[in-house]
Amino acid sequence: MSEVFDVDTLYRAARVAGFAWTAGELETLRPAVAAALSLLATLDALPLEGVEPTTQYRIL
Amino acid sequence: MSADLAFASVADLARMITRKEVSPVEVVRGYLERIAAHDRTLRAYLTVCDDAAMADARTAETALLAGRPAGPLHGVPIALKDLYDTAGVATTAGSKILAGRVPQTDATVVRRLREAGAIVLGKLHMVEFAYGPEGLNAHHGAPRNPWDAAVERMPGGSSSGSGVAVAAGLAPASLGSDTGGSIRIPASLCGITGLKPTYGRVSRAGVLPLAWSMDHVGPMTRTVGDAALLLHVMAGYDPADASSSVLPVPDYLAALSGDVKGLRVGLLRRFFLESATPEVRTAVEQAARALQTAGAIVDEVALPAVAHVAAASYAVVASEALAYHTGWLKARPDDYDPEVRTRLQLGAFVTGAHYVRGQQVRALVRDEIDAALARRDVLLAPATPMTAPRLDERQTTLGDGPSDVRAALIRLTRPFNCSGHPACAVPCGFSSQGLPIGMQLVGRPFDEATVLRVADAYQRLTDWHTRRPVLA
Repeated sequence: MSEVFDVDTLYRAARVAGFAWTAGELETLRPAVAAALSLLATLDALPLEGVEPTTQYRIL
Repeated sequence: MSADLAFASVADLARMITRKEVSPVEVVRGYLERIAAHDRTLRAYLTVCDDAAMADARTAETALLAGRPAGPLHGVPIALKDLYDTAGVATTAGSKILAGRVPQTDATVVRRLREAGAIVLGKLHMVEFAYGPEGLNAHHGAPRNPWDAAVERMPGGSSSGSGVAVAAGLAPASLGSDTGGSIRIPASLCGITGLKPTYGRVSRAGVLPLAWSMDHVGPMTRTVGDAALLLHVMAGYDPADASSSVLPVPDYLAALSGDVKGLRVGLLRRFFLESATPEVRTAVEQAARALQTAGAIVDEVALPAVAHVAAASYAVVASEALAYHTGWLKARPDDYDPEVRTRLQLGAFVTGAHYVRGQQVRALVRDEIDAALARRDVLLAPATPMTAPRLDERQTTLGDGPSDVRAALIRLTRPFNCSGHPACAVPCGFSSQGLPIGMQLVGRPFDEATVLRVADAYQRLTDWHTRRPVLA
């Protein structure tokens, strides 16, 4: 994902998550959010069909 | 306290105490004096339990004289990362938010160590809430790596004080926790042994979490033998931890035969050795040759899925950490270390779908490591791709290109947090600047015995783990 979100979009996303961060805080966060979303986007490109998610090793 | 006693192994201390060659009071007093002399500079401790430790030492001495030793750690002092609950002693996770928090009960592993006779010296410095690998902390200042305190290098984190205290002879052993490498990174940068057991092998009950599905707790020591001794006391089923395994605990000390003949070692070159600096790569390759010369069968193996671990680990840790911190992040945002607050805030932008994809990648990584270990006993890789950076260093150059320091430090350890496999870091050399180099051995799930066996055999072949930093 190369899209760079503006502060208004980040504000709405943060509100959905329950946080009311200011425009100033979000502007500071914006480069890190862009880098994080770019990293997460690599997960979207992986062939994960049929792979059951694992939360922990097989506990015996 | 003589330097020899300060740097004695846990096993030797326990033996000397049991034989009444040295008193627990003398040992505890000696460590407290060393802490008073050196910790103003090194900053390994957040809380020193002077009075309680001396009282426990006197009780241990009385019990010993009465012929009632408590267990294999009778009278041996240990120190704990500041996220292990300790009854009556502040447990703050290195934070301002939990300042003054005093638990009423011990964490399960602390209770087990005390029942085995161990004496708690104090609580150790750490990255706030264990969220960072450098060892930095805005509230308390960073501990100093004892191998180059003059230049002020990172101790590694998040179990920063745990690494510094053991390396500097301010405790014979410590406990750390490891969500992305937080035991093995400071072990590597400080030149000590650090064991991350299999997920489920050691109870996390009473240990403050960072990310529940990635968190592991384990010992940090100067020798592999000591790690085996502590693990034997700490491991085992605990009904208070839902992830705890009911598998029986083997005799880890009995596994330390010193023999690696016929054992199969898979050297991880792609992604692991390839990213290491030349000095680290050379040291780990020499370690592989040393094991081969001792009779191990060494081949090379690749784990292609680890390329996706950074994204998967980020999705999982950021989500779980945010879930734990949401209340404080809303009510007391200014009380966080700014860098930790930013990491937590970023979790708000991870979707549920990304979290699940992260868990799917973990399954792929786990299966790939299992497959590699189906034909090998252990895997071998650098623990960190470089030696300790300067405290102010933010960018570095690895064997495969530039990287920010934070990403570089956790790059080689977190695949095994994702997978849950046991991994033990041990020193395998020193750089031209006199800084320790660490490697890690990774084993099959719940086969810490073989990991420890190979690591111990390596320490019998080398003397890296016996070197001591010169303290000011």
